[in-house]
Amino acid sequence: MLVFTRKLDEAIVIGDGIEVKVLRIGKDGVRLGVTAAPHVPVHRREIYDQIRAANAAAAAARGGVEDLVARLRGRVAPVPDRS
Amino acid sequence: MSQTASAAPIDGVVTFADGLPGFERCRQFVLVSSPALQPFTVLQGVDADAPAFVTIDPRLVTDTFAPALDRVTLARLGAQGGETLLWLAIVTAGDDGVATANLRAPLVINPASMRGIQLISLDSPYRIDHPMQAA
Repeated sequence: MLVFTRKLDEAIVIGDGIEVKVLRIGKDGVRLGVTAAPHVPVHRREIYDQIRAANAAAAAARGGVEDLVARLRGRVAPVPDRS
Repeated sequence: MSQTASAAPIDGVVTFADGLPGFERCRQFVLVSSPALQPFTVLQGVDADAPAFVTIDPRLVTDTFAPALDRVTLARLGAQGGETLLWLAIVTAGDDGVATANLRAPLVINPASMRGIQLISLDSPYRIDHPMQAA
């Protein structure tokens, strides 16, 4: 891992055009600004990890879907008809 | 802002260019819907060892589901803004018998481009484990 010391308003550049800048240093955290091309996904690590774990828990092996649907059936709350 | 739509069936392969978190290499999926699966739809990976996910129209889980899509996300879906997009929430059957739907990171598919993403917004009012109640 590369380790940097950065002060307020200082930045690092990653690859071609990704910039991470220190916008504020507070008691409870550091506020970062990320500049990247629109197609570059930027996520909070803990959110991404949560979604990864949720996907892993939800994934069914091929052929296991019917069992899963049978277990899930009847677990949908009725939605009021708004039509 | 694109409208949310009910789950109309989609034929063909949907490409998730980034894969799904945890399954980043699985990019090609088909949607399987049938009367036997109702009200669920199955997102099945095309590759031999690819996972399958049971999904549901988020509005069947909560009738207040109204997520926002920014311009960048619309561009990644190849959407101009007027398309009818398909929204799906991945369902998990917990070991404790409680089923939950992931409204925090829903799937969004543009049928016009056959492109899909799992939406990971920086802020969302929805839960990753929204409980599904027995009807």
